[in-house]
Amino acid sequence: MYIIVIGAGTVGYGLAIELLKFPDHEVVLIEDDPERANELRDELGEMVIQGDGTEVVFLEAAGAGRADLVVSLTRDDARNLVACQVAKHWFHVDRTIARVSDPRNERLFKILGIDATVSAAAAALAQIETTLPEHIIVPLMHLQGSGLEIVDLHVLEGSTADGTAIKDLALPYQTVFSLVVGIDGAPRVPTSDTVLQTGDEVIAVIAEAAEEQLRSLFAGPLAEIDEADVGADGA
Amino acid sequence: MGCGRVGSQVAIRLCEEGHEVAVIDHDPTQFTRFLPASFTGQQLAGSGSDHRVLLEAGIERADAFMALTHGDNRNVLASQIAKYIYGVDRIVTRLADPFRAELFQRLGLTTVSPTNIGAELAYDALTRE
Repeated sequence: MYIIVIGAGTVGYGLAIELLKFPDHEVVLIEDDPERANELRDELGEMVIQGDGTEVVFLEAAGAGRADLVVSLTRDDARNLVACQVAKHWFHVDRTIARVSDPRNERLFKILGIDATVSAAAAALAQIETTLPEHIIVPLMHLQGSGLEIVDLHVLEGSTADGTAIKDLALPYQTVFSLVVGIDGAPRVPTSDTVLQTGDEVIAVIAEAAEEQLRSLFAGPLAEIDEADVGADGA
Repeated sequence: MGCGRVGSQVAIRLCEEGHEVAVIDHDPTQFTRFLPASFTGQQLAGSGSDHRVLLEAGIERADAFMALTHGDNRNVLASQIAKYIYGVDRIVTRLADPFRAELFQRLGLTTVSPTNIGAELAYDALTRE
């Protein structure tokens, strides 16, 4: 693959180095800051281009016309967005990935057809969420454009899912359980007869809109007591 | 968005015509530099691509949004936020780079390139002699 990386900060440089380990990839790194670009050219050679990755001329010089992928990783959301839009709509690059610093911009990037976004905030959040025991659904990956996501579900003790066969769960539309990892750490491909147990982790494809519904199936009894209390009021 | 020479002139004119105007600039000294005391519009210090600032400026009920800073990319980001997130109908985006002006015009923004306009005027002035 021919890949153009824009922005040679820690993230961009790190990615370029990783990509260079694959002999099939051809990588070009565009960096705006002349000093940083020179420094990197000493280390990496001709693959480093000094220039503004949002400008048609520099993308042209980097060979954007034959690029399979453009990844824009500067600190500036505006530059990352424009670089990807120019790549996509001027040079018809198939796939564009942008770093997003302000989480509120993620929706816009999606609307505008950026194929994937990388967000430090989202990554940190997901990392933190996996360490919280009461967290039931951890989003792993959004499948762009389909409204689907891959999630990690945790079966909590006393939840509706606990001790129930998958076929007996009222699963939301488009939910597919791909893998169940038991408390023993062994991964199994589940069938409709598989009975879920406390401590199981389920890797599933779900509709983004169905998160709440799944949460109620996998939540422990604590989450339901509030509602039960309300219902029992006056009884 | 952008209270330099261009932005302030447009803002003053629209204000005089009786429109309700809000001006955003990250540098508040621009307001005292370019806006007369008689300017009645709202003045907001901050980034025009910051949702908080846009909301404060009343973006949700705005009929038009103009991004007129020197930063092409900032103008494009803010314009697309106004258009696609807040549904503002009329957008004008200043782009110094003629390539990007052409591209984003094609992608649905109304772009204005001072570079093209300036070059044309300069050329006309010369050849008219």
